[in-house]
Amino acid sequence: MRNINFGYGISRPRVINMDNNDLRKSNAIIAEMPELQACIGCGSCTASCTAGNLTDFNFRKLHTSVRRGEYKGAYEELSKCMLCGKCRLVCPRGINTRGLVMLIKRKLGDF
Amino acid sequence: MAYRVVIVGGGAAGMQTALELKSRGIEPIIVERDIELGGKARGWHKLFPSFTPAGDIMQPIAQRVKDEHIRCFYGQEVIGIASDGVTLRSEERIPADAVVVATGFTLFDAHRKQEYGYGLYDNVITSVDLERMMNGGRVTLTDGSEPKRIAILHCVGSRDEKVGQKHCSKVCCITGVKQAIELKQMFPTADVFNFYMDIRMFGPGYEELYREAQEKYNVHFVRGRISEAAETINKRIQIKAEDTLTGRPLRMTVDMLVLLVGMSANYDNPTLAASAGLPLAPNGYFKANDSFLGVVRSQQEGIFFAGTVTAPKSLADTLAEASLTASAVDQYLKNKYNAK
Amino acid sequence: MDDILLYFAPFTIPFVVGTLFLFIAVGVKWVLWLMRLPRVDKLLIRRGIFTRQTLIAVWEVIRESLLHVRIFKHNPVLGYMHASLAFGWFLLIAVGWIETTVYLGADFVPLQGHVFFKYFAPHLALQEHYAVFEQLMDALLLIVLSGVMLAWFKRLRSKALGMRRTTKHVLFDRIALSALWFVFPARLVAESLTVAVYGGGGFLTGSIGGWLAEVVPADVLAMVYEPAWWFYSCALGVFFVAMPFSRYMHILTEIPLIFLRRWSLRPNKERRSYDNFEVEACSRCGICIDPCQLQADLGLNDTQSVYFLRDRRYNMLSLKIANNCLMCGRCEAKCPVGINLNTLRLNSRAKRRNIPHEGRYRYLQGIDRSSGMGKVGYFAGCMTSLTPAVQRSMERIFEAAGEEVWYADRDGGVCCGRPLMLSGETDAARKMMESNRALFRKHEITTLVTSCPICLKVFKEEYHLEGVEVLHHTEYIDRLIAEGRITPKSDNTAYTYHDPCELGRGCGIYDAPRRVIGAVGKLAEPKHTRRDALCCGSSLANTVINDGQQLRIAQRMTAELEATGCDTIVTACPLCNKAIARAATRPARDIAEIVAKNIE
Repeated sequence: MRNINFGYGISRPRVINMDNNDLRKSNAIIAEMPELQACIGCGSCTASCTAGNLTDFNFRKLHTSVRRGEYKGAYEELSKCMLCGKCRLVCPRGINTRGLVMLIKRKLGDF
Repeated sequence: MAYRVVIVGGGAAGMQTALELKSRGIEPIIVERDIELGGKARGWHKLFPSFTPAGDIMQPIAQRVKDEHIRCFYGQEVIGIASDGVTLRSEERIPADAVVVATGFTLFDAHRKQEYGYGLYDNVITSVDLERMMNGGRVTLTDGSEPKRIAILHCVGSRDEKVGQKHCSKVCCITGVKQAIELKQMFPTADVFNFYMDIRMFGPGYEELYREAQEKYNVHFVRGRISEAAETINKRIQIKAEDTLTGRPLRMTVDMLVLLVGMSANYDNPTLAASAGLPLAPNGYFKANDSFLGVVRSQQEGIFFAGTVTAPKSLADTLAEASLTASAVDQYLKNKYNAK
Repeated sequence: MDDILLYFAPFTIPFVVGTLFLFIAVGVKWVLWLMRLPRVDKLLIRRGIFTRQTLIAVWEVIRESLLHVRIFKHNPVLGYMHASLAFGWFLLIAVGWIETTVYLGADFVPLQGHVFFKYFAPHLALQEHYAVFEQLMDALLLIVLSGVMLAWFKRLRSKALGMRRTTKHVLFDRIALSALWFVFPARLVAESLTVAVYGGGGFLTGSIGGWLAEVVPADVLAMVYEPAWWFYSCALGVFFVAMPFSRYMHILTEIPLIFLRRWSLRPNKERRSYDNFEVEACSRCGICIDPCQLQADLGLNDTQSVYFLRDRRYNMLSLKIANNCLMCGRCEAKCPVGINLNTLRLNSRAKRRNIPHEGRYRYLQGIDRSSGMGKVGYFAGCMTSLTPAVQRSMERIFEAAGEEVWYADRDGGVCCGRPLMLSGETDAARKMMESNRALFRKHEITTLVTSCPICLKVFKEEYHLEGVEVLHHTEYIDRLIAEGRITPKSDNTAYTYHDPCELGRGCGIYDAPRRVIGAVGKLAEPKHTRRDALCCGSSLANTVINDGQQLRIAQRMTAELEATGCDTIVTACPLCNKAIARAATRPARDIAEIVAKNIE
């Protein structure tokens, strides 16, 4: 029984199914801050992350997942961020990461 | 009487252009800011991808410049350019029938990335420092010992808007691979880690060399940019990155951190460009007339480019471009004076 | 009853209605705001009301609400403009009152009787000594009119009055403003016409009236006489009706505000009823626009404090406007009403999700990555790990001074909480504060030195670290030098100093860094310095502007620093340091670096 996935389980499906994923929220986030698409995935944000130094938190993976329409758990994950701003200071693409954290939380949360 | 062409800059591009012009019966004059010719390639150890000693390429060129009795001004800075000559800092003017701008690039100053600790930590060096060390025949840590663990960081001062360097410096990736191999040849038991954002192997034999580094030399490639470095009490370097392929933060301590410094546009490009009314590209390099048939031509008749003054280029590309520049100058002079 | 009939004329209706409306509207506002005050605030009022503070408040009302001393100090022409209108009008009312009282004794005269005295008592003009009042009232009217002229001129050419930009207004403001502009010219016309018909008048109305009597036929005069008074009354009526909903509400809001402030009420991290007094005390003078670098450097024209307060007042504040502020405090330093602009901006950012769920930041529990031992704690701050030269210099200085130091975050620590606070998540930030405070307590430090002014401010204001002295490293180094514990040598390097917003305007630390720089070299001040210093643009308080915009602000301010001809730019904040280093052609160093470099 345990191995049957009814779609409500804690374990998420392995595949990022771009045919099924609803990209509306993702597109709304990108529309408000197009610079998010400029990410080249260097990992500087995660490497320098104050929260990531203390707990399992990966901003790069998180915003990439959100861009792919994988929203589940993203809000709760983002709540680990301390908003200290180091990532913004190191981003080689000059992405406004702090603004982005707040934007994603706003779009995925209820305010 | 031969036409006279002033070449600003006596590096690889300037010397090669001069030789090509001379062979076409045109009289080149090189104006060099330094006290000798050679530019950035001087003092470089070995060239990618063939590990040819840089001297093997550069010395014959310099010798030919001497043998051909090409006039050179040394220690002279050009502050103004025009299609009919250049103005020196001494306010002296050198008239010419055409001008070639071959002033090259400036190495990115690694001090500007304070988080990597260049100039602050003993064993953080740049790729240029490493070439000099290899030229000197010995690569060691500051205490004289051999490094056992080395990290090479790509894209220092390239693709980094935080230091105003939006462009890719093109040659650092292959340089990083080359230097990794050289380090492994010197210290076979050492571990070498290349930290990269993207590996850009654009030239012939480059990709093959990359594979050789991976397979034959067991160089470790980590996809992630180092975000900061700290020095431990025993002068080792602790680095932080994300291993983006596993999605986890990565920390390691190395004996030596090599920063692959990128190519910046020269600081005096704006003044030089303004003196001739020429536009600069957004990254500060001179803007070529177009990207296809006009790569060595400026937007002004009679002013030409050679080498890295328009964009980062490898030495091979620079030398090839110099011939193109000479050909374009020749064509221009013929058209100009035959029409009269 | 007779009196009221005596002082009634149909044209007074707009004025009377307007005035009644004004009193009711303002009364309702005040009562509601005061009633909605939380208990703590009410308690403060009860404690403060019978103290000396109340008397001081009265004096301040006279100074600020009538004479506008602060605007005068900021800009004398603007000060005159404002005082001529406000104080001039006040005197017109006051002298007018005395005038009626002198002639009619202590009898009750309804309001319109005072205001339209000239209409109701034109015969008084024939009495001889009345001329004194006539001249006085005319002189006051002239002063007010000169203010109106200046205001008109300011709308057209704000630069001429020393303001690069003047405020763009909302509809109610435009109505009130137009009415106000008409009030005094209308009064002049109405009174002059009265003089033309009945004689008398001072040097102004008298001469205009005399001239009118000469050139205008008597029947025409009689025809326009009543309408002129109608027009004057309407202008007043419209102004009074629009007033509670327009910027002119500041006239009546500033007075209670001054009292409440004297009784120690302040805006807080959470929105409170008291905020209404601050918000509506804004006269939208627009003095805050020019100091704003988002305006000067980026051309943003919708986010300055004046627009922020306006939007908040009319419930149309967008999150973007609330967030688009560097909170550098340059405007707050210049606000003539002394509104706590940063605090109001901050509490506008508080969101519904502010109260964190229980599990949030649970990972902070028990975290301790500190090292070393000592009574002095050093908290470098998150940003400082990206400026390792600062950390190393501090270690060098500690060593040279022989200080035993406990390093709180050399191996990474917990954020101080201020960045989160600046984004309105004050309750969530508290979890970080508790974590750090517990850490400081656990290691029993007595002095806490930090290199980051952002951390410093929150340590000082929110941490309540009784028994622990909180110092920025500039203050600490300054003390070490004063005590002779370190003796850096001085050379001839020419330095210029950039005041970080959080250190200068935020914590009032201006002198310590200057003394330290003076000890190692020469200091040249940039054009904007100390309380007037520019922001580097990288402020954590702003999450709206992009990287390019941050850079542009940094370039403008760095150009000013370099204009001093310095060899090296010095600052005392890792964030400012990074911003300046991006834009500068000269080296940018932290104050700790230049000291460490000069220690033997």
